Amino acid sequence: MAVVIRADGKEKVTGTGRYAADLTLTGLLHARFKFAEIGHARIRRLDTSKAKALAGVFAVITQADVPDVRYGLFVKDRTLFAKDVVRWEGEVVAAVAALTPEIARRAVELIEVDYEPLPVVTDLEAALEAGVQLVHEGWADYAIDERVLRDGNQASLSSLVKGDADAAMARAAVVVKSRYVADGSSGVPIEPRAIVAEWHGDKVQIWSSTQVPFAARTLVAETLKLPENAIRVSVPFMGGGFGAKCEGHFEPQTAALARAAKRPVKLVFSRREEFLAPDHRREGMIIELETGADKDGTVVARRGRLLTENGAYSNDAPLIAQMALHFLAGPYKVPNINITAQCVYTNTQPSGSIRAPGAPTAAWALEQHLDELSAALGMDPVAFRRKNLLADGDEGPTRQIMDSTHALATLDKAAELIGYGRPLPEGEAIGIACGWWPSFPMSSGIYLKLNADGSPTIITGAQECGTGAVMTLPILAGEVLGLPPEAFSIIYQDTETGPWDGGAGGSQTLFNNGRATIAAAEEIKSQLLKMAEDLLEASRADLELVDGKVQVKGSPSRFVTIASLASTATGDQQLLASGVGVVPPTPASDASGCIGRLGVESFAAPTFGTHAVHVKVDRETGVVRILGVAAVQDSGTIVNQTGAMGQVTGGVVMGIGQALSEGIQVASDARVRNPYLLDYKLQTAADVPPIKVGFIGIAAPDAGPKGSKGLGEPPCIPTPGAIANAIALATGARVRQLPATPHRVWSAVQQETKR
Amino acid sequence: MKYTATLRVNDIAYPVEIEPGRTLLSVIRDDLGLTGTKEGCDDSECGACMVLLDGRPVNSCSYLALQADGRAITTIEGLATDGELHPIQRAMLEAGGVQCGFCTPGMIISATALIARTPRPTDDEIRAGIAGNLCRCTGYQPIVAAISAAAADMAGKQSSAR
Amino acid sequence: MTAMAGTPSGVAPVTTGGGATFSQPTSLSGVYDALAAGARVVAGGTDLIVGTRQGKLKMPDHVVAVDRVAEMRGIRPTADGGLWLGALTPHEDIATNALIRERWTALADGSAIVGSHATRNVGTLGGNLMNASPAAETVGPLVCFGAVAVLASRGGERRVPVADLATGPGRTSAAAGEVLIAVELPALAAGTSSCYARLEYRRQMEIAVVGATAVFAMKGGAIAGAHVAITALSATIRRIAEAEGILNGSDGSPAVAERAAQAVAAASRPIDDVRAPADYRRAMAAVIARRVITGAVERAHGAGPSIPASDALHGAR
Repeated sequence: MAVVIRADGKEKVTGTGRYAADLTLTGLLHARFKFAEIGHARIRRLDTSKAKALAGVFAVITQADVPDVRYGLFVKDRTLFAKDVVRWEGEVVAAVAALTPEIARRAVELIEVDYEPLPVVTDLEAALEAGVQLVHEGWADYAIDERVLRDGNQASLSSLVKGDADAAMARAAVVVKSRYVADGSSGVPIEPRAIVAEWHGDKVQIWSSTQVPFAARTLVAETLKLPENAIRVSVPFMGGGFGAKCEGHFEPQTAALARAAKRPVKLVFSRREEFLAPDHRREGMIIELETGADKDGTVVARRGRLLTENGAYSNDAPLIAQMALHFLAGPYKVPNINITAQCVYTNTQPSGSIRAPGAPTAAWALEQHLDELSAALGMDPVAFRRKNLLADGDEGPTRQIMDSTHALATLDKAAELIGYGRPLPEGEAIGIACGWWPSFPMSSGIYLKLNADGSPTIITGAQECGTGAVMTLPILAGEVLGLPPEAFSIIYQDTETGPWDGGAGGSQTLFNNGRATIAAAEEIKSQLLKMAEDLLEASRADLELVDGKVQVKGSPSRFVTIASLASTATGDQQLLASGVGVVPPTPASDASGCIGRLGVESFAAPTFGTHAVHVKVDRETGVVRILGVAAVQDSGTIVNQTGAMGQVTGGVVMGIGQALSEGIQVASDARVRNPYLLDYKLQTAADVPPIKVGFIGIAAPDAGPKGSKGLGEPPCIPTPGAIANAIALATGARVRQLPATPHRVWSAVQQETKR
Repeated sequence: MKYTATLRVNDIAYPVEIEPGRTLLSVIRDDLGLTGTKEGCDDSECGACMVLLDGRPVNSCSYLALQADGRAITTIEGLATDGELHPIQRAMLEAGGVQCGFCTPGMIISATALIARTPRPTDDEIRAGIAGNLCRCTGYQPIVAAISAAAADMAGKQSSAR
Repeated sequence: MTAMAGTPSGVAPVTTGGGATFSQPTSLSGVYDALAAGARVVAGGTDLIVGTRQGKLKMPDHVVAVDRVAEMRGIRPTADGGLWLGALTPHEDIATNALIRERWTALADGSAIVGSHATRNVGTLGGNLMNASPAAETVGPLVCFGAVAVLASRGGERRVPVADLATGPGRTSAAAGEVLIAVELPALAAGTSSCYARLEYRRQMEIAVVGATAVFAMKGGAIAGAHVAITALSATIRRIAEAEGILNGSDGSPAVAERAAQAVAAASRPIDDVRAPADYRRAMAAVIARRVITGAVERAHGAGPSIPASDALHGAR
């Protein structure tokens, strides 16, 4: 496959591309938020008068200055600014717009808030006990999605039930029980978020580093009570999101501030703010699993209980908790299942989708649990998985009949790439883990036009967050139209120009927008063929599009260039198309035994992966070094090889970070102890070994363009489990906490040595 | 109080009047309009703000602008010459070393410093040389490949020029 | 064109932007003037600016940037066979200096792992000392080598053992009006071998959570003069006499090294913080101390860990 240089690449390597924080406007003011800086408290007094009086301050706003709207995906439990109570340290209490960042900072310091501290809730199990402090005293009065089962600090309750787990467990030859505790973690895009808002009469233009411009627009409309066509959200170059920039975030506050100040306003987060304030981080979990198997290693039953950390306010965390049940079943044949998930309110940062939400943490627990079960059975972990992995025709956890399921192939290829089974020195081991993830079919559209010189323009609502998904659209359109990808220009990530799009989340961009692109390109192709039929005196069945020409098959000298067709196109021959395509169906399933059903009950175009990680553990210090990784993904057809490779290597390294060094440390006062990069440690280039990447590459039915499946999220899923298993094999000690910091590994080794 | 200074950035002299507390990063971005240099953290950990100061890599976020008075500063905008991409820039594109692009300028600056000191770095030397530049997208692998390819390219050009 | 930055423009400040006055002298006499006016010294700025950006430090009202002071620059041999290191020497220059790597090896071990490559290029030896962090990477080796800090003021020079420079986290024994201009390493005793390592969670970009230095003068296969210091294990970086007593006169065998390492752990006063709990720090004090003791012994025999020892001692690939 030829290397395709991304269309946005030159601007990125030369530093000329503008990101949201790079923008400036005449009269631009600088925004800064007053954060709660306390875990839980009632606001006794909030006085902004001194801040307002400071020279250079143009606006100070609080909840009193915006419409009284509660919002939230499943539970409408929050407001733009704190109302009466602050429930986590990063909650926005007030916002300032001032001439300079320095004046804004001083103004924030002049805002006076008297708090009556309330007990903080941080422990997931304690939070559910009777009589405990409620995070939301008035929880019963909030408007909710009726499917959400709530009770006090329980933000949601869901279950995954299939067959009769109790009976099957009672009959099982071998039963293993395990408990795991995972810290929350952060998305940590290298670009801290930035938003610029400027009003034009009753309309507002917002530039935001969001992953989801249309969802951001919807939030502004809902909270500021505006029609969507009064709001334009445009995304300049965007410096990564990883889920942390999904859903609307701070666009409404910035817009409200700009309106109050009667000036354009720019908000730029510091890294500390980026760690603490966004209502998206990967949730902490407590996971209890019990699995029964026959003597031959066939899994017969799983029971379990999952607690996930909702945080102070509820976004998509209830859905993530429910989806995590699928990941606790895993890509395995499990005939009898009974697992419940409770999403629990705490006085911490709200949880929300971070790359493959719920999956890496759940898989980390399940894959360790399965290694414990393999050991109890006296089976090799690879042989055990080979016996139990899902294959075509098998039944998934909700009785979905599996199709295009190549989990076994990923296992075999990963084992081969890492050299599984070879002898290793003392202190080294290879761990294996599998994972799965759905694709998300949804509506998506593009416009495609040929300009008068034949140059093609794609206009899409899709969002490029770095993955290269939008940059891959020209490959698909070019294949249909016989044009090189470099010929296309792309207008993207702007709510005012492109059709609605779900945004850069759910690994859905290429999956859905790619389909729309092919549909539009086919339409343009049809228009070109219609024009060429008369000129070339040939029927369209005899014509083909090659190298910028429409030519007669077998007679390449009889041709007309696309450019000349475009130059003559007028009236009904306007070379203009919109594409949507047919959204692939979601597989049938039966989840009738489950409760708290919020969606995603079957996995469309399911993706699978196996990661094998070679580690070396320093037993005396607990320091783990990663010596090698093999990551194999079943992602259907690979459309853009370079882009796909980059998703896998990036996902693996994010997974290594979650496994070893990335954990949000919450103190007893519910405040985060490490909201900065020295002590929230991302893996550096020096920590990461070469990663061997494999793709199965078999086209999937009912999937994305050319039989592709979603790829952005899945590669971070199996890595933490594989590393945890490798540590256990290398040391004989199992680390049941995530991340496996040196201290935790050392402690586990110490305990094991004492036994 | 403001002080006058002359910042020589990419061979252009910029007279500036700035307060002592201003960082080099803030002046480069806000006063000179060179926004290719990025701000990604508060504690010199991410490397997005990397520039060369008299040829040495510096986190411009934690360097006082006035201290750079008269010194040679190179930012990402200064690497391409006459519209031709620098070999590292080109290799980053070809190897897929660029995704969101936010770490890219700092990464390329660190690579420039590394190759100047170690013309043909091993992969381990490359990884150590960019350890102060965090990337969340790529897993570093394509970046390491790009720097290795660029170093080979640059060494080849030098030897053929002799 | 050098002193432009020292010339106030007369423009009224729109914002404070931190410090109010700034000077950038090219000689010590200018530094003394600034110090007399109450200025705080900044060299590379890697500690101060990060601290202010994180809100942990306040930008001083008056700053004197010493990075152009000629008298504080350079590495040169002293008459007695030692080494004079200008306070402005960047860590990178120490880590790559052939003589230091060969002879004052532990100092190269420490200098090679300060922060990132950028920190090592801008951050200076003097800054590392005067910041007085209990985790400073260069200080343990300097203490064990018997290095002396040269403090200069209008009144002349004063020499203080590096071991006595820091008096607590962020505090030094330097008087107002004094600036650190150099560090002098005395001549090495015959057969000196040394090693510094820290516990490293990641392979780069770390800060010492636990560190230890061993400097030995070897004589006929035995340790004649043992200097062992701990880093990030007490309020200041200091030598551990109990460990040195165990090592002196021994061959530094694994058993002796272990006993000395336990003495190091016993003498450490670790804190509990976000980076590690105290019990783990204490246990690691013994591990890291044993490794540097063994590393120094091995180096004496022409083997041992490569520079920087931290990476080599953590089982790098």
